[in-house]
Amino acid sequence: MTTKLFGEPVRRREDQRLITGKGRYLDDIGHTALAAAFVRSPHAHARITDIDVDEALDVEGLVAIYTYEDLTGPMAEPLPVLIPHPQLHAPRTGFPLANGEVNHVGEPVVMVVATDRYVAEDACDRIVVSYEELPVVVGVDAARAAEHAVHEEIPDNVAARHHQETGDVEPALAAAPRTLSFTQYIERSACMPMEGKGVHAKWDADDSSLRVYTSTQASTSVRAAIAAKLKLSLDKVEVIAPDVGGGFGVKIVHPWPEELLVPLAAINLGREVKWAEDRREHFIGSAHERQQRQEITVGYDDDGRITALDVHIWHDNGAYTPYGIIVPIVTATQLVGPYALPVYRVVVESVFTNTVIVTPYRGAGRPQGCYAMERTMDRIADDLGLDRAVVRERNLIQADQFPYDHRLTFQDGRPVIYDSGDYPGLLDKLRTLVGWSEAEHLRADAAERGKLLGVGMALYVEGTGPGPYEGGHVQVLGSGKVLVSTGLTSQGQGHETAFAQIVASELGVPIEDVEVTTGDTRRFGYAVGTFASRAAVMSGNAIALAARGVREKALRIAADVLEAAPEDLEIDAGLVQVKGVPGTSIPLRTVAVLSNPLRYAFDEAAKQATQFAKAGDDDKPPVAVGDAPGLEHRDYYSPIRSTFASGAHAAIVEIDPATWEIDVVKYAVVHDCGNVVNPMIVEGQVHGGVAQGVGGALYERMAYDADGQLQNASFMDFLMPYASEVPNIDIDHQQTPSPLNPLGIKGAGEAGVIPGTAAIASAIEDAVGRRIASMPISPTELYDLVRDPSSERTATAARREAGAMA
Amino acid sequence: MNLDGSAVLSGDPEKVWSVLTDPAVLARTIPGCETLQQVGDDEYTMKVSVGVGAIRGTYAGEVRLSDQQRPASYVMHASGAGAPGNARAKVTIHLSPAEDGRTTLTYSADAVIGGPVAGVGQRMITGVAKRMAGQFFRAIDDELTGVAAPAEALPTAAAVSATSDSASPGEQSPTAAPTAFAGRAGVPAGTSGDVQTLALGAVGGAVLTLIGVLVGYRLGRHHR
Repeated sequence: MTTKLFGEPVRRREDQRLITGKGRYLDDIGHTALAAAFVRSPHAHARITDIDVDEALDVEGLVAIYTYEDLTGPMAEPLPVLIPHPQLHAPRTGFPLANGEVNHVGEPVVMVVATDRYVAEDACDRIVVSYEELPVVVGVDAARAAEHAVHEEIPDNVAARHHQETGDVEPALAAAPRTLSFTQYIERSACMPMEGKGVHAKWDADDSSLRVYTSTQASTSVRAAIAAKLKLSLDKVEVIAPDVGGGFGVKIVHPWPEELLVPLAAINLGREVKWAEDRREHFIGSAHERQQRQEITVGYDDDGRITALDVHIWHDNGAYTPYGIIVPIVTATQLVGPYALPVYRVVVESVFTNTVIVTPYRGAGRPQGCYAMERTMDRIADDLGLDRAVVRERNLIQADQFPYDHRLTFQDGRPVIYDSGDYPGLLDKLRTLVGWSEAEHLRADAAERGKLLGVGMALYVEGTGPGPYEGGHVQVLGSGKVLVSTGLTSQGQGHETAFAQIVASELGVPIEDVEVTTGDTRRFGYAVGTFASRAAVMSGNAIALAARGVREKALRIAADVLEAAPEDLEIDAGLVQVKGVPGTSIPLRTVAVLSNPLRYAFDEAAKQATQFAKAGDDDKPPVAVGDAPGLEHRDYYSPIRSTFASGAHAAIVEIDPATWEIDVVKYAVVHDCGNVVNPMIVEGQVHGGVAQGVGGALYERMAYDADGQLQNASFMDFLMPYASEVPNIDIDHQQTPSPLNPLGIKGAGEAGVIPGTAAIASAIEDAVGRRIASMPISPTELYDLVRDPSSERTATAARREAGAMA
Repeated sequence: MNLDGSAVLSGDPEKVWSVLTDPAVLARTIPGCETLQQVGDDEYTMKVSVGVGAIRGTYAGEVRLSDQQRPASYVMHASGAGAPGNARAKVTIHLSPAEDGRTTLTYSADAVIGGPVAGVGQRMITGVAKRMAGQFFRAIDDELTGVAAPAEALPTAAAVSATSDSASPGEQSPTAAPTAFAGRAGVPAGTSGDVQTLALGAVGGAVLTLIGVLVGYRLGRHHR
């Protein structure tokens, strides 16, 4: 029963519950609750001319019908712009229920409440909403062309023009020995958690208090939003994230209309009300990400060293901007990756379209930035006839250059200063792991089998653990049980295990005694949320600090009892003992009892803390000035800036020239997230990320037609990789501890997804010798590309041909 | 909350007026009206019991009338209360000649709905109330065209005729003992199922019943 578990591959303790059907998800709550369902817009852009509910009135079990007219006060105002930014010059958000106009298919117009979901849906079907259709804007190019406006008062469709530069780029490009300019695209995908969104609300009229369960990544902030919008006192609102079946970013957005409307109905009706999102609703009523048009100009020398980089991106933000311009900022600032760029300028124009809103999806703009930077490296190598790994190597930030200041401003408003890392080390490990030098041999071998083989790589640096803060609370009970809580939420990452490992190690208690609670405002009211690979960095460190506070107090109390100096004491396996003196010890649970001076003995253990149990110092109060009863401590971690994790991926693809099916035959990952709390959990995170990376590269896209109808809004039509499409993943670790936090850790949640599209695009291009400038790519698209005489052939392909003829 | 509607009734404004102002008629045409009682010169009270399915709700209502422009228009001030909620309404009623010697009746109610039922959404309340107005005016029109079941056919209706005969309201001072008119209680509210919905129908009924009673108030004066 070891208690030094930091860094050990401890099995995820939550899995017993989660994989045996004992999880408690949103829809497992409130079986007797009334059910809400929504009438959503069937049009991408339209004015609402009438809402006729007459036919719905005959539906047995109908309880209530709400439209915009029923919203008053703050509820009648637009939803909040969560993250304002000076460069977001034209922010727009929708209303909880459409106020006369709809701007994307799926926007909620009417909420129906009934005795169950079936009845509610039947009533929805009978409500007739009349629309006057308006011109539709779909896709980043249409938004850019601005023949029509999504919001008529914003004729150019531009919500924000985000601009950063580190020097004078024009002269730098003019002076560059060589330059390249190109345009490339990346498509939309979405988080697609197995569990969609969901809300359950219960109003206690006598206590005038509200309890809300919601499948969220930010329960404390949902709580604040509900209190503000429904004009309730914060202390009368509880918000709890139960087990959450995946988030991947979509559930950090809040308050969703449903998170406000379901509580509103619960209060108005005095009944429990629940809504659980169905899959189509999730496709058309939640959020997407990723679509960008990228125009890149790079200046470089004959050795492939970049002298200047100029990037202009058009980013599709969908119909509204509730999450500000976080994704554009992340793309703009993370694009630079592990490279030293003498001069860099980036402009990201965030444009409105009549489609579902765009907010962070695992990676949150990084896959696009990585795609831009890494494909630029590939083009430079192709132009110069150099090994793609060598070109990268020549541009890498060196190990002795840390901390490295990119002179950019990150999504947390802090400078992009890389705290630590070893990028040449990553690249070396990757080349070895994937067998980079064997590529030509593998290509020839595949050719003999009639296959086209290609290799590709992509490197990334990921800013993780942004502030402002997270907190942790650790309390030892008289039973010996250790209660741990933090405000941020869990969506299956393994927080219960990782946080318990940290406490067991810091406090010296068996992990079996540690109980972790996350995302419950009744337990911890101050938090930011789970996003940007921050839970381990932020709450992990806050919990470690809280545990250290408990340890300090425990030693102080035990020292008094054992008549020893605190520094001579240690805690191991839940026992406080004098170092090197076996037998002189006191159980931590007894220390917990003694920490709370009692008048009344409610049980045997409590007797020890009562006033006549032992002689006290008559000149001192039982609870010292500045001290507090109880063996507990609350602490917070607030970083000066994000800590930067890094990694390198390589993919080997084989393409069948008959079917043009693309098979990822090998996928190698070298990963550096500083000190690792639990390598098994980190590898699991990498696996999941790679799966989504493969999906984004080869399968997933949002198929909008010109009218803004999403044509693949179901799991029958939206392709996601199965286990059969996810390659075996070879992983190697590198550890460069972060100097920014007590545990020296960096985030690992999003990393796996970031380089997938770039690495696989590079591998496909290497295999077919045609320029891949739009991702994802399907076998059909690849077939058309290689058949199209006008499609660009790579210089590398020409050289190979020449070589073959010579 | 505003509640507007209209109905075309068979008969010229004078005839419509006289039918609309026959408490015996109103008692049996108002959805769910159990009793209608003149309790004073300017006062009527009534009981409506509106029910759907297994659940019924009983509501007490009062009315006051003003701005009478016979046979063209008047304003009534109504209030009703019952378990699931309460309603207060100011209703303006216009009668105007339509083609073929018919009458177009338009009503415009400015109603305040309170209590639990108020939480179900404006569109639903107006939807139900409109529907009950439809029933009320259909019943009135049946009276006008004579397709309504003969009064004697129903025990309650028998009571009505008996009462109205003996009562001959015009012959007694309005301040005398209350004059009661039995109604044909339980006209379906046309909505269904859930508690809230029923309560809603009931309150809608109460409002409309009050509308009817206000008209009924005219009787005493008319026959005086």
